[in-house]
Amino acid sequence: MPRGTPRLLPRLTALVVAFLAVLVVLPLCRLVLVVWQEGRADIAPMAGSDGLRTAVWHTVALAAAVTLAAVPIGVTMALVLRRSDLPGRPFWQVAVLVPVLVPDFVLGYSWTQAYARAGFTDTLLGLRWAGIQGPLGVWLVLVVNAAPLVYLVVAVGLAARTEPDLERAARVSGAGPATTLLTVTLRLALPGVAAAAVLVFVLTLGTFAIPQVLGAPAGFSTVTTRIYANLSLGGDPTSFIEAITLALLLVIVAAVCVAPADALLAPRLRAVRGADTQGIPALPGRRAVRRAEAFGLAGYLFLTVALPLTALVLSSVTRALGLPPTPGNWTLAHFREVLTPRTFQALGRSLGLAVVAATVLVLLGALVAVIERARSGRAAATLITLTLVLPGSTLAVGLLITYGRWLSGTLTLILLAYLAKLWAFAHRPIAGALDRLPPDEMHASRASGARALTAVRTVALRPLAPALLGAWLVCFLSALHEVTMSSLLYGPGTETFAVVVLNSQELGRIGPTAALSVVLSLLVTVPAVLLFLAVGRLRPRPSRPPEHLPLEVARVG
Amino acid sequence: MTTKSIGRLALLVVVLLGLGACGGRNGSATQSTRSATTMTLYTCVSDSTIQPVITAFEKSDPGSTVDLFRAPTGQLNARVAADTRSGGLRADVIWGCDPLTMQAFVEQRLVGGWIPAGADAIPAQYRTGNYVGAQLLYMVAVHRTTVPAPRSWSDLAGPGYAKVAVPDPTVAASALGALGWFAANPDYGMDFYRKLKSAGAVQVSTPDDVTTGVAQGIYDAGMTTSNSAYAAKKDGSPVDVVWPEPGAVAIYGPVALATHSAHAQVAKDFITFVTGDAGQRVIGASGTYPTRPGVPGPTIPTGAPIVHPDWTRIGTTKAAIELGYKQVFGG
Repeated sequence: MPRGTPRLLPRLTALVVAFLAVLVVLPLCRLVLVVWQEGRADIAPMAGSDGLRTAVWHTVALAAAVTLAAVPIGVTMALVLRRSDLPGRPFWQVAVLVPVLVPDFVLGYSWTQAYARAGFTDTLLGLRWAGIQGPLGVWLVLVVNAAPLVYLVVAVGLAARTEPDLERAARVSGAGPATTLLTVTLRLALPGVAAAAVLVFVLTLGTFAIPQVLGAPAGFSTVTTRIYANLSLGGDPTSFIEAITLALLLVIVAAVCVAPADALLAPRLRAVRGADTQGIPALPGRRAVRRAEAFGLAGYLFLTVALPLTALVLSSVTRALGLPPTPGNWTLAHFREVLTPRTFQALGRSLGLAVVAATVLVLLGALVAVIERARSGRAAATLITLTLVLPGSTLAVGLLITYGRWLSGTLTLILLAYLAKLWAFAHRPIAGALDRLPPDEMHASRASGARALTAVRTVALRPLAPALLGAWLVCFLSALHEVTMSSLLYGPGTETFAVVVLNSQELGRIGPTAALSVVLSLLVTVPAVLLFLAVGRLRPRPSRPPEHLPLEVARVG
Repeated sequence: MTTKSIGRLALLVVVLLGLGACGGRNGSATQSTRSATTMTLYTCVSDSTIQPVITAFEKSDPGSTVDLFRAPTGQLNARVAADTRSGGLRADVIWGCDPLTMQAFVEQRLVGGWIPAGADAIPAQYRTGNYVGAQLLYMVAVHRTTVPAPRSWSDLAGPGYAKVAVPDPTVAASALGALGWFAANPDYGMDFYRKLKSAGAVQVSTPDDVTTGVAQGIYDAGMTTSNSAYAAKKDGSPVDVVWPEPGAVAIYGPVALATHSAHAQVAKDFITFVTGDAGQRVIGASGTYPTRPGVPGPTIPTGAPIVHPDWTRIGTTKAAIELGYKQVFGG
């Protein structure tokens, strides 16, 4: 046994427990205590109300429906984009991630501008979709928004786990493409798929902006929209307690759904694979098939990304809502209005916070991914998912009640909020790829005299790099967009960029908000593209190929 | 990995957390070492109004400074609720957007007990013994220029409008004020909302969402705040604004002193300023309606009818009128 190893796990576990206590357990316990002390008498009548039952049903059904649709779409994207012979592959790899770059609070608007009455398609083709403002519209926009996340998690999982040698072996042995896909590729992708499904389900349970914007006109309420209503008219303590109780209800729902999955499913999906057995590119396919895949991808992205985002960009340069977005009505006034010295200061603050939060989160996520592989650490993964489901407003209240005496109005408290909220975001993609960290090779490295950090750097980091970078990217973008918690926690001199966006989003004027969203999207697109390219470069290179032989030749041989 | 490695990892996390904290003030230190002339203001009043008001106050009262927390009403309420459960309200002054929320704060003994000496210059319907209205908003009708202008509120339930949007009174206090006024008016009552619903009206979240939807063309007309509707019109959106009969519904935003303010003098000076002539002029110039008569403010058409909800009655019957409304619009 390499030196230090027996003591490793308990120490890492202790470190994670300390962070869990600070970021998850204490704030949740404080919220439970508040409800118990001030509102336990009201819980039973509230739980029995028809409105709440409907909202809970809507919330759970929506989360399940979004997960069921977004996961296959994201997995399909990941499988299609693995193919190096896909026409225009680098472009599509970036394009599918674009919805992640757009903050939730403008996404709903961009869809109504594209497809609702008097929207793009109505004006140009006389086609409108009344259902966009209703449960179906909420579901669709959430699916489109969640699919890139699934793609990212599964793609980094595939980058770390798949072994084209196995696929090739299956094909050479006579298995068809479908059988190979089902029995080899998807089997290897399962941990990533499971991680993505949990993330999407929990995120949808706690989603607010899109149900609020698109669901309200159809009277479609969820638990989060009820929490918002309670806080909006919640000057009185009863409404506040009801909001906290509803948020804790979401935590219970998430725990009931996620804990069994983590306890039973996750260990069965794991395997141990060598660190350097991958690297051969995926099998080439027929050109016509690849073209059809590219065409399908283009159509999907045109309808779900290009049209709504074009509507958003045009809104940022069109003088006023309701005017035709023709050059005669274009102006840069919205950009001039929002790009002030105060905005730039807030942007600098947000970028710094997002970088620090993403970096710390990747470390914390990796720690949980390591310790959960032992029985003693399994609960950690579920615990950090509980703060992901908490609506931002409630988590911020929990943190304020717990640490507000010392940290109210500071960037430290905002950072703690990001860490608490996004920890699961960092953990799940890394956990989905951790099979590529074989203990034997780590042990061999340590036994050969390498120090711990050297062993991590030389053995673990390279095969895990895609997952680590993917997790970092998701956390960075989420922290940069985060508005609910920041707007509740900021103080003098600690406004984030999203808070400035929120403050400018007054009087229903979409133009300035659209302009800020465009600026934000452009700012994150550059590092996103760079990171994506870095992920590609960090992927282990192909070992010497038997693959130059066409499959048919190999079969004959 | 040894103890040393884990120590390094922990140190890295601490350093990164420390970096994250750079630039942020230390809450407790700031609280304890703040000058007596620095006060904290919690408000939901728009940024475009509150910033010039603070600048003008700090100029008129040299040495005084205002630390601002501005957020939509929901976040403001959550912050107040969190403060009171973690050491007490950190604001010296709360400037709200509706009397109901402020009355709830008074009942929790968080604010109140003082109003400035010159408060009687503000009309009586905009003040109580605990708080004074500093600004107003009006619930009006907004409509596409392609449809006829509604003359009265009841026209919105008529056949001239294919789609009408109303704001959610369980989310926006201004919408609740309007609901309270309609519910109490014998010519309207809850029947007005039933007719709206029957005519195809839909409920959106906030008055701003109404304006956005009407400007986009999703709705023909709707019920929104005058500031929001005039802003869209000024930008060039194809909308117009009507102050319908029997009147636009007035909602006032009250300002109040925190009961346990640690900086009471500067807080009182601030409230005196914003409810006085000079502060009211700044509010009017910023595009928000002042409460003090005679102070110039944004557009109010000559002879425009205005009605005032009975906030005390709304406060006591809130649950019942919300229930009646939900039976019509759901939620």
